[in-house]
Amino acid sequence: MKTTMKAMVAAVATTLMAGSALAGDVNKIGLAVPNLQADFFNQIKLGVEAYAGEKSIEVIVVDAKNDTATQVNQVQDLITQGIDAFIYIPAGAAAAAVPTRLARAEGIPVINVDRTPEGAPGDTFIAGESVESAYQVCNHIIGLAEGKGKMAIIHGQKGTTPEVDRFKGCKRAIDENPDIELVTQQWSQMWSPDEGFSIAQNMLQAHPDIKLIFGQADGLAMGAAKAVDVAGLSDTVIIGGYDGDVAALEYLAKCEGPFIVTATQSTQLMGRLAVDSALKVAAGEDVPERQIPNAVLTTCADAPKFVEKHP
Amino acid sequence: MTADQDVGKSRLLDMISIRGATGPLIGLLLLCVFLSIATDSFLSFRNFLNILDQITVLGIMAVGMTFVILIGGIDLSVGSVLALSMMVLGYLNVEAGMPMAIAISGALLASAIAGAVSGLLITAFRIPAFIATLAMMSIARGVANMITNGSQIIGFPAWFNMGAIIRYGGFLTMTVAVMLIVFTVATLYLRYREGGRSLYAIGGNPEVARLAGINVQRTTVLVYVASAVLSGLAGVLLAARLDAVQPSSGVAYELDAIAAVVIGGTSLSGGTGGVVGTIVGVLIIGVLRNGLNLIGVSPFLQAVIIGSVIVLAVAVETIKRRS
Repeated sequence: MKTTMKAMVAAVATTLMAGSALAGDVNKIGLAVPNLQADFFNQIKLGVEAYAGEKSIEVIVVDAKNDTATQVNQVQDLITQGIDAFIYIPAGAAAAAVPTRLARAEGIPVINVDRTPEGAPGDTFIAGESVESAYQVCNHIIGLAEGKGKMAIIHGQKGTTPEVDRFKGCKRAIDENPDIELVTQQWSQMWSPDEGFSIAQNMLQAHPDIKLIFGQADGLAMGAAKAVDVAGLSDTVIIGGYDGDVAALEYLAKCEGPFIVTATQSTQLMGRLAVDSALKVAAGEDVPERQIPNAVLTTCADAPKFVEKHP
Repeated sequence: MTADQDVGKSRLLDMISIRGATGPLIGLLLLCVFLSIATDSFLSFRNFLNILDQITVLGIMAVGMTFVILIGGIDLSVGSVLALSMMVLGYLNVEAGMPMAIAISGALLASAIAGAVSGLLITAFRIPAFIATLAMMSIARGVANMITNGSQIIGFPAWFNMGAIIRYGGFLTMTVAVMLIVFTVATLYLRYREGGRSLYAIGGNPEVARLAGINVQRTTVLVYVASAVLSGLAGVLLAARLDAVQPSSGVAYELDAIAAVVIGGTSLSGGTGGVVGTIVGVLIIGVLRNGLNLIGVSPFLQAVIIGSVIVLAVAVETIKRRS
């Protein structure tokens, strides 16, 4: 029974795809983002819009405000508008497979960026390799602390791909340094600065001798930096972040707070890659299953040039 | 006397009437006309079906919220109860490997318990509904998170998701069918059953209702149970639609549900309104979100427009009542 249905869906999908492959032209791209309040997604959107603008392709953006159900509705609306390609950044921890299935059923190319739903891959998946870059960030701050001391981690939204991978990378750096002790870790819901602030404040209350903090996103790291300032520990605590948000890069460029290193994601590049991949898939060309625009380790020395032009 | 006879004569007309909801209905029609002109893709049968898909969860929650608001209460816990129901469903079906029928029953039972606790807090302990359901909102969300320690669950049987995708007879998905049944039953119950009429009485004046022989306390508890079970049912349908469950689902859905009820002309102070108005309210929100996406309005501007429409709908209704 199950297999029959799956086979039916697959058959329908292939027929339709064959039909649309003949068309090949891309005039309208749909872009579904989880949350435009997060600078990371906003940068990707700007990247897609700028590059598509050069190629005079129309882009329709929908913002799910972090709600998976809203996103499924929005994708239905995108398909109704007759998009020729679909750039999909899943919202929430349960990266829903449904939008991919809906688009596939219409023969629309699906380009996944940043996250990918289990069991329903798109035509290509574009995302930085979080594990390696998180390792670099944690390795950098551990090096500054001369390989010893107490450490804290502020996680992102539990269960999301970036949360899991960034922890994996950082944990590797911690495990390589036996004198580093991971004393506390907490999860945030929204990756936001105010959460970073209150989580770090509680951590410092419980463990005033923390030397290192890794915030899994720049928002969390910036919030933690504020908490460290408030506690009067700016000279002793070292903080690492992730993402290379514009606000964080400006902070780093000044080079005067406890937050001193991040991994800058190539968000604009991701946007360009996504549009290029969409064009290729629509034209029937091959694209790699996985494309990895890696994040760049960014200290105060590198930050000013990224403030000028985001990679 | 004449009024009674009139009701008797026009029963069929009455059933499809839109008492108190004419304002919202006119608004909905104007909105549809505007969107049909503004974009080619709005006015099509297929898009209409999409909108029905999209309002399923909100629609079912809003029916429960209508009952609660009719008796002069409020239920802030519906979004969290939805998440609780989804997680119980996922745990029983995927992790514990039980058949779907048992998993759904378990999910609805968990929701019912949450509603019963809210109801008892309000009646037996005289805690204001706002506070009691605010507490339940926090408790249910916490329990939902505890089930998997915050992680999502995927791996439902394939037919479950298909129920939300396949349109039987080219028209009805299973989830939309459930919503239409809920709408029909709730409308008929409120209009024609003694229990339904007693909700209006309690909302109008609980003391008078009590003197008239209505068991106000029991009815109040049952109303909160009904609201919670409907939220739980919405959670089951959402799980089918997403093919996955996560404890962070349904955040701020209570506000959407309250907005739909209020746009539909039910008074927040209780006693007047009804499910038909709420259905119109749900459609206004659904059509607006769908239409703004189709026109390609920027997400930031969409938030402003939706807020303005809520204010407009309620203001028009208030002015109409005063005059």
